Amino acid sequence: MNNEQFNDRNVSNDYFLVDIEDYPTDGWGKFKRVIKRSFRGELFVGLWVVLREMIRFDIHTVKYPEEKMPIGPRYRAVHEMKRLWESDTERCIGCGLCEKICISNCIRIDTKIDENSRKEVSEYSINLGRCIFCGYCAEVCPELAITHGGEYENASDQREHFVMYEDMLTPLDKMKAATQLEFEGFGAITPHEDERVKKTPLAY
Amino acid sequence: METAYLIETVIKIVVILLIFSALAGIGTYFERKVLAFMQRRLGPMNVGPFGLLQVAADGIKLFTKEDIVPSGVVARIFKIAPVITAATAFMAAAAIPFLPSFTLFGYEVHPIVADINIGILYILGIMGVGLYGPLLGGMASANKFALISAARGAAVFISYEVVTGLSILAPIMMVGSLSLIDFNEYQISNGWIVFAQPVAFILFWIAAFAETGRTPFHLIANDHEIIDGFGTEYSGMRWGLFAIGEYANMFFISFVISLLFLGGYGDGSLLGALALLGKVAFFFFFFLWTRAAWPDVRPDQLMWLCWKVLMPIAVINIVITGIVMM
Amino acid sequence: MFEAIAFYLFAFLTISMFYITVTTSQALYALTALAAGMIFISAFFFILGADFLGAVQIVVYSGAVMALYAFGMMFFDTTREVKEKQGNKAIIFGLGTISAVLIVLIFAAPLVSGNAEALFPMTPGAGNTQEVGMVLFTKYLVPFEVAAVMLLVAMISGIVLAGKKMDLSLTLMNEDEIREMRREENKKVLS
Repeated sequence: MNNEQFNDRNVSNDYFLVDIEDYPTDGWGKFKRVIKRSFRGELFVGLWVVLREMIRFDIHTVKYPEEKMPIGPRYRAVHEMKRLWESDTERCIGCGLCEKICISNCIRIDTKIDENSRKEVSEYSINLGRCIFCGYCAEVCPELAITHGGEYENASDQREHFVMYEDMLTPLDKMKAATQLEFEGFGAITPHEDERVKKTPLAY
Repeated sequence: METAYLIETVIKIVVILLIFSALAGIGTYFERKVLAFMQRRLGPMNVGPFGLLQVAADGIKLFTKEDIVPSGVVARIFKIAPVITAATAFMAAAAIPFLPSFTLFGYEVHPIVADINIGILYILGIMGVGLYGPLLGGMASANKFALISAARGAAVFISYEVVTGLSILAPIMMVGSLSLIDFNEYQISNGWIVFAQPVAFILFWIAAFAETGRTPFHLIANDHEIIDGFGTEYSGMRWGLFAIGEYANMFFISFVISLLFLGGYGDGSLLGALALLGKVAFFFFFFLWTRAAWPDVRPDQLMWLCWKVLMPIAVINIVITGIVMM
Repeated sequence: MFEAIAFYLFAFLTISMFYITVTTSQALYALTALAAGMIFISAFFFILGADFLGAVQIVVYSGAVMALYAFGMMFFDTTREVKEKQGNKAIIFGLGTISAVLIVLIFAAPLVSGNAEALFPMTPGAGNTQEVGMVLFTKYLVPFEVAAVMLLVAMISGIVLAGKKMDLSLTLMNEDEIREMRREENKKVLS
C-alpha cells in the first residue's frame, strides 16, 4: 500500500448545513410535530440502515495482532539509528544535539575519543517511559542518524523501557541486503527539494 | 397420579431453568454479534470458532470474580435484589406454553408448567415484580447513580404496567379468557389477533420494551449517563444474575407476544411449533436490532409517551373494541 | 398433604414478613418485607383455587408498594436506620393488642358459630374470572361504581394538585424573568 492516501486531506464538497426548524411552543404545533414525526417513518429508516449493513456484511474490523494497518512514513514511533549507505558505519557523529533538544530529558548520550582519535558514541539510551515522541531529535539531527521508525508495539512491564544504541542501530545484515529504509518523515528533506532551493543572492 | 404429576412438573421446571439460563448466556453472544454486524464489526472472534465459546469464558469470569459487598450498603437487600430479578423472570415462565403438547415415549407432554386459567395476568404481574430487583438493588447500593436508576425503575414500572394492562384488555375481551392456551385455540379458528387488534399489538410491543428495559427505553441502566444504574456497585455473579434475568425476560416476553397476537403454535403440528420458535426468534432479534438503530429517550419523554400518548390510545382502543363487539 | 404444607409454609412466611415490617427501624427492610408479605398472601388465593384474585393481589400490591418505595426514596436516606420517636410504650402495646384481638374476634366469630355460608354458590361451568365478574356486576354493582367514581375524583384532584405551574418552564425563561418570578413569590409570602 502506498502512502498517497495519507496525503489526501481533501474532504468532499457534499457538506451542507442542516436546515433546522424552530421548535414549536404552542400545543397545536407540538401536536403537529408529534404526528409528523410518528408517521414519517424515520425510525424505520434507521432500522433499514443497520439491517442493510448487516446484510451487506462489509466488515471493517482489523484483527489487530494478525493484521495491521499500514502506518504513514511520518509516524513517530520508536527511534531508529541509521547507517551510512556507502560504508555501513554509523551516521551518528555524537554531536549531542538530540540530548540537548529533548524536552522530556529522556535521551542520554556519552561520547569518547576512540583509538583513531575520532569521536565515538560510547553510550546512548532513550527512556521510552519518558519519551513523548515529539520528534524534535529527528528534526534536529544534522546527519539524519536518529529517526523515528514504525515500531509501535513497545509494551513493557516497567516504565523505564530503555532502548539502547545497539537495539536502534540498523543491523549489518540488513545493510548488506540494502534494505535499510530511508526516512521520509519528520526532519527529513522533502522529495524534490533540489528544485525548490533558491540560491542566496550574494550581492548583499 | 399425584406423584407422577409432581415428578413431571419438577422435570419441566428443571428443563426450563436449564434451557433458558443457557439461552440467556447465548443471548448475550447473539446480541454482541448482531450489534457488531450492524456496526460493521466482527464481534467476539477469538474464543472458540467464531467466538462461540465466549459465553463460557464470560460465565467462568463471572463465577470466579470476587463478590464485593461495599460498606455502607444495606447488605441483605443488596444481596437479595439480583435474585429477585432472575427468580421472577423464571417464575413468569411457569404459565407460558413453550411448545404444543407432544408425545414422548408414549407419554403426552404439555410443555407448560402450570396451565392456570389466568396465565396472562400472572405472567405480567410476576414480570412487574421483576422490576423490584433493579429498584431494591438501586436503593440499597448507597450510590447516587444507582438511586437515580431505582427512581426511574419505579416510574417505568408504575406507568408502563398501565399501558401493558390496558393494551391487552381488548384482545382479552375478544377471546374471553386469560389463558394463553385459549388464546392459541381462538386464533386457530378466527385468524391472528394482530389483524383484528393492530393498535393493541403495537402498544403491547412498545410496553414490552419498557418492561424489559431495552434500548429505546433503556433508561434504568443507561450506560452513558448513569454508569450501569442499579448494577454500578455489583460485581461477579450477582451482576450476572441481573443479566440472566434481563435476557430471560426478553425471551419470555417474545413468547408472550407471539402467543398473544401472532397465532402462537397454531394447530400444534411440528410446523406450528417451528413457526412459534421463528416468531420468538424474530422478536428477540428485534430487541437487538432496535438497540443498534434507535436512540434512547429521556425519562420525561418516556413518561410523556406513556401517559399522554399510549394510555389514551389504549383506552380508545378498548372503547372501540367494546362498541364493535356489542 | 401438599396443600397443608403449602398453607403452613406461606402462613409462617407471611407472618414473619409482616413482623419484620412492624419491628424493623430500617425503611428498606420494612418496605421489602411488606412487599414480600403481600406477594406471599397471594399464595393463599392460589391454594384456594382463586387464581384471579391471587394474580390481582400480586399486580395491585406490587404496584402499591412500589409507590411506597418512591415515597421512601424521597423522604429518607434509605440506607440509614430511622430514629423513631416513641411515646408511652405501654399505651402503644395496649392499644395494639386490643385492636388485634378485636379484629380477630370480628372475623372469627362467624366461623366459630358456624354462620358463615357462601351467599353466591359457584356457577357450574364458569371460570374463576367470570365468577368474580358476575358477583361484581350484579350484587355489588353500586359499591363497585361508587368506588370507581371515588377513584376518578381522586385522580382528577391529583392531577389538579400536581398540575400547578406546569406551563412554567425555568429552562425556557431567561434570568430576568426568573428573578422577577422569585420576587413575586417572595412578595406573597411576606404580605
